[in-house]
Amino acid sequence: MPGELFQIPETKDGKRVRLVTIFGRLTEEGKKRVHYIFDVGKPEYAVSIADGEQPVPSIAGSVPAASWYEREIHDQFGIEFPGSPDSRPLLSHENWPAGFHPMLASEVEVAPWTSASERSSPNEYRFLKVEGAGIVEVPVGPVHAGIIEPGHFRFSVVGDTVLHLELRHFYTHKGTERLFQGRPVMAGPMLAESVSGDNCFSHAVAYCQAVEAAFRVAVPPRAAAQRLIGLECERMIAHVGDVGALCNDVGFSVAAARAAGLKEDLLQASAQWIGTRYWRGVTVPGGLRADVSAAATADFARTVDETARRFAELAKVILGTPSVQNRFDLAGVLKRQVAGDLAVVGPVARASGIDIDVRSDHPYGGYSRGDLKVPFIHYGDVMARARIRIEEAAESMRLIQQAVGSLPEGEISTRFEPKQGVQGHSAVESPRGELFYWVEASGGLITRCHIKSPSFQNWPALPFAVVGNVIADFPLINKSFNLSYSGCDR
Amino acid sequence: MILDVLKNSLAAPSRLIPVEALLGSCQGSRMPEVRPAALTSAAAQLAAEVCPTAALAVERNEEKLQLKLDYGKCIGCGRCIQVAPEAFVRADGFACVGVSREALIRYWELPCGAKIEGATTSESVRAEIHALMGRALNIRQLDPGSCNGCEAEISALTNPHYDLERFGIHFVASPKHADMLLVTGPVTRNMAEAVRNTYEAVPEPRLVVAVGACGVSGGLFAQSHAVVGPVSSVIPVDGYIPGCPPTPAMLVAGILHVLERHIRIGGRKQL
Repeated sequence: MPGELFQIPETKDGKRVRLVTIFGRLTEEGKKRVHYIFDVGKPEYAVSIADGEQPVPSIAGSVPAASWYEREIHDQFGIEFPGSPDSRPLLSHENWPAGFHPMLASEVEVAPWTSASERSSPNEYRFLKVEGAGIVEVPVGPVHAGIIEPGHFRFSVVGDTVLHLELRHFYTHKGTERLFQGRPVMAGPMLAESVSGDNCFSHAVAYCQAVEAAFRVAVPPRAAAQRLIGLECERMIAHVGDVGALCNDVGFSVAAARAAGLKEDLLQASAQWIGTRYWRGVTVPGGLRADVSAAATADFARTVDETARRFAELAKVILGTPSVQNRFDLAGVLKRQVAGDLAVVGPVARASGIDIDVRSDHPYGGYSRGDLKVPFIHYGDVMARARIRIEEAAESMRLIQQAVGSLPEGEISTRFEPKQGVQGHSAVESPRGELFYWVEASGGLITRCHIKSPSFQNWPALPFAVVGNVIADFPLINKSFNLSYSGCDR
Repeated sequence: MILDVLKNSLAAPSRLIPVEALLGSCQGSRMPEVRPAALTSAAAQLAAEVCPTAALAVERNEEKLQLKLDYGKCIGCGRCIQVAPEAFVRADGFACVGVSREALIRYWELPCGAKIEGATTSESVRAEIHALMGRALNIRQLDPGSCNGCEAEISALTNPHYDLERFGIHFVASPKHADMLLVTGPVTRNMAEAVRNTYEAVPEPRLVVAVGACGVSGGLFAQSHAVVGPVSSVIPVDGYIPGCPPTPAMLVAGILHVLERHIRIGGRKQL
């Protein structure tokens, strides 16, 4: 007997609330539970829990954003979601043992693994077949041409025009959520940093904040301010790099090289200031690991200021260049309706007219509501996503200057004993959007850690932006989303 | 407007980092270094206990205790420096790139702290650099499961600060055009087949360089059920570049060093 149909909360004006994440978990007694997290328009996230011991009716029919989550939970825990429009495996590819659910296995040592040639799953992964006169299927990946992560794209094209695109990811699935289990709480950040290597500080801070929420630890103001600087620096690095990469994809090499140089300036400034280019190993639950000197901070702030000024000049030139306008305008339009249905987050959502940003909707750390200028644009094309990134980089620079100018003195870390059994969650606006961590700990060890990465949420929206465009524009459209494969696959 | 960008670019001072400054530099990598004079048994024990990837270990070699530091496993978390700051410091120079797997492992005798030399190649890359200039080396980067940290740093090699092309080295889109595979990250179950196929597609003679703690040793992911193991568990590897992630300077030095070793040694890998 399937359980009760899950009631999806609604806002006061009857609108469907935004799905944040769904994840499975085992209780202390080993019972399966399914947790649903929603954004109901308040600073706190709303949590609902379903009993996973019985099949849980799928909500993917009415909440399309739920589909990948349900498929993931099925692979991890073997929980059934009757009524799901798509019940294909997500994490486990054909060479995984049938019926193997890693989050259930007490011994994840599973032998023997079949080699690729003798697949254990009799069913080949089924892609949607588009058939008809003149329709050609183009498989791309998992290995791509360039310095990029692996993933598979299956295009169905008529001439140059994409009729249908289907993604198949999780090639970089490393079982990270399983690896968290059993680790000491204080050793969590280093694994969080290795979830998505170019957004590692956002991941580390989101993890730490979830732990701090669980143990009710207050972070000293100086640590909160420095975390804000790090988060905004990471956003600047990502956006400057992305805008340069977009120029590269339309053959505007001079601007691409300039942007790559500016990105490198920021990375070197970070290395000078805190000893690491990508802000790894900086934060721990409770605060930060090491303090910084005032003189070094001033140097860092000067470089950020100078870089932001030069980036703004460059951006003006980029947006004013006709060949760029010609390629960016109206390419890869993601409609607001689709973005909403798939609960898209981050710059991609803001470029499609959805005004969401964790920093202002669910303020955390050094951020406060009203202090932040969140740009949003309705067009939803490559140009809109490029402009969102340019404006956000400028805003990040302003926030960094503001934080450096009023950096509080005092402690950089709060000591605490992470012993009792607790749960906590936290979200961070990473450069790619809402990043949500849910952490449960007991006896100083992590018992469950779920990571909702913005890329996992946004990937299913990409095909909708690509359909109708020429296949040659795919790299450009994909780059304008700039999603992480590893962050998605974990 | 495009002319303005060009004009500004030409007027701006060059940001190119000279090769002397790249080789041996590891700023920003967070790699540790041992200060032999201050190394005590207690410090070594303490550091080995907090090391999350067991890169540091205290071992008994016949009668003597020794500290083993495997740079191939180190993710630069800095815990050893935190618990024993007198004995461990952040390295400011680093030559352990592009070497064999064994050469990434260093030993220090305890408690007197005398370093036991491993089988490290000590040829100076700098001396060979001119011989390598102008040689066309085509590199294909392959990601079998990395977190994208190593990719970010490899991409940086093409920016105006590092400009890998000045050595006659460039990145190609197809393995069929490549002399060298630069492989990052642990090999996941889902990528193992693609890694083998990509390796097979590279024409002989081919070089494989494993990049980053994960590529060299599996790093934090070595124990995962979804991971097969380090790069060497799936395809043969010719050189290793440690770090989490290695900095662009370490990558440049590592690539040049691997090349130099194989040109020197000749034989099967003669390029």
